[in-house]
Amino acid sequence: MADTILLAKGVTKRFDGLTAVHNVTYEVKAGETAGIIGPNGAGKSTFFNLLTGFFIPDEGQIFYLGEEITRTPSYERVNRGIVRTFQLVSVFDTMTVLENMMLSRIRQGRDYRSKRRFFFKSVYHPDLVDECLQALDTLGIADKADIKTSDLSYGEKRELEIVIALSLNPKVLLLDEPFAGLSPIEIGHISRVVQQLSGKFAILIVEHKISKLVELVERLCVLNEGTLVCSGTPGKVICDPQVRECYWGKEETA
Amino acid sequence: MLQTIFYGLTIGGILYIISIGLSLTFGAMGIVNFSHGLIYAIGAYTIYAVMAKMGINFILGAVIAVLVSIPFSYIIEKYVIRRLYGESIDYAIIATYAVLLIGVDAIKWIWGASPLPISDPVGISIQFLTMEMPLYRLIIIGLTLLILIGLSLFFKKTIIGKIIIAGLGDREAVRGLGIRLDKYFAIIFILGSALAALGGVLYSPISTLHPYMGFHILILCFAVVIVGGMGNLRGTAIAAFSLGLVMAITGRIWGPAAEAMVYVVMAFVLMIRPIET
Repeated sequence: MADTILLAKGVTKRFDGLTAVHNVTYEVKAGETAGIIGPNGAGKSTFFNLLTGFFIPDEGQIFYLGEEITRTPSYERVNRGIVRTFQLVSVFDTMTVLENMMLSRIRQGRDYRSKRRFFFKSVYHPDLVDECLQALDTLGIADKADIKTSDLSYGEKRELEIVIALSLNPKVLLLDEPFAGLSPIEIGHISRVVQQLSGKFAILIVEHKISKLVELVERLCVLNEGTLVCSGTPGKVICDPQVRECYWGKEETA
Repeated sequence: MLQTIFYGLTIGGILYIISIGLSLTFGAMGIVNFSHGLIYAIGAYTIYAVMAKMGINFILGAVIAVLVSIPFSYIIEKYVIRRLYGESIDYAIIATYAVLLIGVDAIKWIWGASPLPISDPVGISIQFLTMEMPLYRLIIIGLTLLILIGLSLFFKKTIIGKIIIAGLGDREAVRGLGIRLDKYFAIIFILGSALAALGGVLYSPISTLHPYMGFHILILCFAVVIVGGMGNLRGTAIAAFSLGLVMAITGRIWGPAAEAMVYVVMAFVLMIRPIET
């Protein structure tokens, strides 16, 4: 329990009689990079939404650093260090790349609090802008800081989303299908970013396809029809007969 | 014809002022807010009360009417709207409709059911080419333009505005940034309601006050919001002025069809608009 950062204990979530997540107990340890895979409709995103406070479980509890957060609102969980990205990339297309970054900093850093907090420009403290530009530079998109986000490619938007998530100082970062919709080159890029981040804080990745996760995660779990089927090292999970049946079995028959 | 266009712009301006709150409430919170019509009526009846009963002038009366509407909208937001976030849209319609009905009966109880007139507070007309234009209507158009520019700057330049615009695009993503979005929605709800009250104030001298005035304007504003796009600020402005002109021009040709034509335009827009999935 000592190094457990995030713990879901027997959580269940139902939607109009359909049980999306059933009695799942799962923990994320500090500093580990873990993955959850499962076929479409397995309940992965619902489980993510339960961990991040976007849904409240019907049964069970969620703990963060030993403290119960089952009913803590999503924004408060972010402020405590549970940061997420979304399956469909979520950046604000009508704003510039830098504005997207600054928006994530609005309620951060009391040092930057000025008396004129009414105007958006008041967030633009030179140090903070430099910090944001450096963060964009780590992914090679600093030169695009002043262009409209809608003009970025999907892969660049995904990178921006991750930069924004990192700027929120995560203690645990939850990535919801970070490779969905990306080209192989972009997938490689995002994978390298995740590898560089590994060990700095806990990372939990939900992904549809196992192949992309095997090299990235230390521990893999399989969710099927809302139930946790198997857990272990990627190598062990791949060989598990139950996983093959529920996961690859479906792909073979498709 | 020029006078018709001028009248259309006046109606369009008032429709814009009232519709903006309705559009934001739907776009940002996903709530169809019938109680908006009540706040509009509260604005109109308050200006009547302070002018007719207390002898206060129109400008000060307008300020009082807008201020009076704020606690009402605060209470509606806190005890009705806030409890409807994330709930089915049906609940929102029933709950806010109930608020409107309670408000209408309260108005009937206080002021009676008879229509009440408010005279033109300016009472001056300006000669332009061959026609006479009431200065009051010109003031309404000017004020609408000021509000339009002011709101545009507010949404572009302020922290609240940026968060609301972001929230209109993707509510979940804003929450994902650790921002307590419902607090900002509450601010914008009260701002939108204050504008509805101002709309009630401005419309009362060119119309008459009656307990069901909120219902009447609400249906027109729904048409504006549907044509302009829910939560679309620019679209709401264009739709309000366009439908105001449609009403005025149709009314000039055949009076009884003036409002019906608004719904014909709305139906046409719904038919040709691509369905969002």
